[in-house]
Amino acid sequence: MTNLLLVGAPNSGKSALFNKLTGLSHKVANYPGITVDVGTGTLKSDPNVTVWDFPGTYSLNALSGEEQVAIDTLKTALRSDDDALVAMVWDATRLEKGATYCLQVARECAQAGKPLVVLLNMMDVIESDGLDVDVSGLSKALGVPVLPVSARTGDGLIEAEAALLAPSPDLAPWADTPDMLIAGTANQIGDRFAPKGDLLVRRQAHIDHWLLGTFTGGVAFVVIMTLFFQAIFTWAAPLMDGVESIVIAIGSAVASVMPEGIVSDFVNDAIFGGLGAFLVFAPLVFILTLIVGAMEDSGYLARAALICHRPLSFFGLSGKSFVPLLSGVACAIPAIYAARTMSSRQERLLTYVAIPLMPCSARLPVYALLIAILIPDETALGGLIGWQGLAMSGIYFFGIMTALLVAAVVSRMDDTTSSEQAFILELPPYRLPELRPIISKSFNRAMHFIRKAGSVIFAVTVVVWFLGYFPNGGEDLSTSWLAALGRFIEPVFSPLGLDWRYGIAIIASFLAREVFVGTLGTIFGIESADEDPAALADQIAASGLTAASGLALVVFFTIALQCVSTVALLAREAKSSQFALKLLASYMVLAWIAAWLVYSLASVVLT
Amino acid sequence: MSTSANQTSLWALAAGDSAVIASIDGHATDATSQRLIDIGFREGQSVMCLLKPGFGAPRVFAVGGATYSLDRATAERIKTIKPAS
Repeated sequence: MTNLLLVGAPNSGKSALFNKLTGLSHKVANYPGITVDVGTGTLKSDPNVTVWDFPGTYSLNALSGEEQVAIDTLKTALRSDDDALVAMVWDATRLEKGATYCLQVARECAQAGKPLVVLLNMMDVIESDGLDVDVSGLSKALGVPVLPVSARTGDGLIEAEAALLAPSPDLAPWADTPDMLIAGTANQIGDRFAPKGDLLVRRQAHIDHWLLGTFTGGVAFVVIMTLFFQAIFTWAAPLMDGVESIVIAIGSAVASVMPEGIVSDFVNDAIFGGLGAFLVFAPLVFILTLIVGAMEDSGYLARAALICHRPLSFFGLSGKSFVPLLSGVACAIPAIYAARTMSSRQERLLTYVAIPLMPCSARLPVYALLIAILIPDETALGGLIGWQGLAMSGIYFFGIMTALLVAAVVSRMDDTTSSEQAFILELPPYRLPELRPIISKSFNRAMHFIRKAGSVIFAVTVVVWFLGYFPNGGEDLSTSWLAALGRFIEPVFSPLGLDWRYGIAIIASFLAREVFVGTLGTIFGIESADEDPAALADQIAASGLTAASGLALVVFFTIALQCVSTVALLAREAKSSQFALKLLASYMVLAWIAAWLVYSLASVVLT
Repeated sequence: MSTSANQTSLWALAAGDSAVIASIDGHATDATSQRLIDIGFREGQSVMCLLKPGFGAPRVFAVGGATYSLDRATAERIKTIKPAS
């Protein structure tokens, strides 16, 4: 078994090359002896070779703690004593950018006695633009084999693989070179070999002129973001409904062949019901990863980060938080994944703090129900403005502002999450996204979510089902242990003017917020509350829920982190259960306090 | 020869203008300066301001065939001199 370590700067085409070499067999695993996840696959032409796609960094000098981890991982892998081969992917169109990194890796390899091959990528662009790179001269200057390749067209890959698998015994001559000399040599190599002419930069600048212009850039941004949301909701919604119907259908089919009773109820409601509730997130993760991936590949994502950097920096966040926060408006799960692209752990943690407060789509049915209770279905200005629609916009605005303000407060209170980091962002050239690798990545991410978050979510589902089912065999929710629990915690919610029924619904909604509607439906005896919230709204309004309590509920749902999927994934991605649980507890307390303040104020004003 | 008197920060460069990098504050002593050097902002390199988006947004610079966006604090670390015309 041979290990091939693929190293290179971000935007050097390393992942594209990895996909070509492995035929998209990408999965994530621990490199032997190192507990950091690295992309891995098998070489297409030789199944005995495992290819490792190391995280892209600009050099072996770290800018952040997170980068330091990536760099240490690479150094440990380079120095481990198996017969690993090292391939440095270097973008021929931007030679200066990777020169220092390439020499640093060459030095590490020489010190570790490992052969190094440089894969000079993007040669198709060099050729199509009539540019020229002296490949053999570069190879002589570096003292290692340099092979021209194109990850996009596949040109040169056969020769490159042959060179990689039959490495020359000569090591790079940089083993004892000090840092100063590395920097000087990198300078010289850049000056001597980089393609002359700024055709590529000019072409890109021409598009940037429009997409980043003060007026045109703003318009383009709004249009692209509108399309982004349209795409999420028009593509993901039918897929999510489809997954839910399939799970429910299988559940009913399985339950129908079983004798009626507790086992059948458990299988139908707890296993398949619970499975359905969290499996619906998988298509959402898939679609969002797909769209964000296409935007990233096209080069626009970096521009969007640039546009949003200054507004977000007022709240202690950076432009790089933009996409995760935006994704959070659809769902926190893919948003947490989207934060992976942020290199600084501090910035990422602060983004994690803000994500659960973004008005996600699971809150939508809850808001719809509460608005139907509180706001008359009337219009103003001759039908131009509907009060209910206006209320919904207001709630969304309130949610987004809460997220930003909490981030601002946390970044000022807590030094470990403040982002004093310099904003240095490469703007990669615009290009058409390559769909196959993005689809493959999106699929992997959806599977990752199912595997990693599934067990926790499932456990919580079973517990809630158990409490709701016993001791009366699911006959009457109002006499179940869950209801007993609801009455027990009633003192918590009574200061908000809410009785035990809302207590149960709130507890149940920690599975997923939209469960709130269904649970209230069960309690108020409206079976189809999910499909027809109006009937439930009438019932609740008739039961005497005050406007102040309704408002308190809106505020509570805006802030509370009622989503076991989010908590489970946060613990995983932040690599800290403590962080996730602290966030859960903080938002619960904050939600209650804010709801109580609103209730108290509204009770005075509205009476 | 240039003196520090005619050095201007990269942030002061007008869109479309080029200059030569004279120095980087905190040269190689902190991670940010080191990163700028590693990605191509080296003394003697020619750098061009491609775009100045409005509202104080990070600006866009071309150096060594690559394009980077830098915020004000970072761009002000880089001192440039106008090439003799």
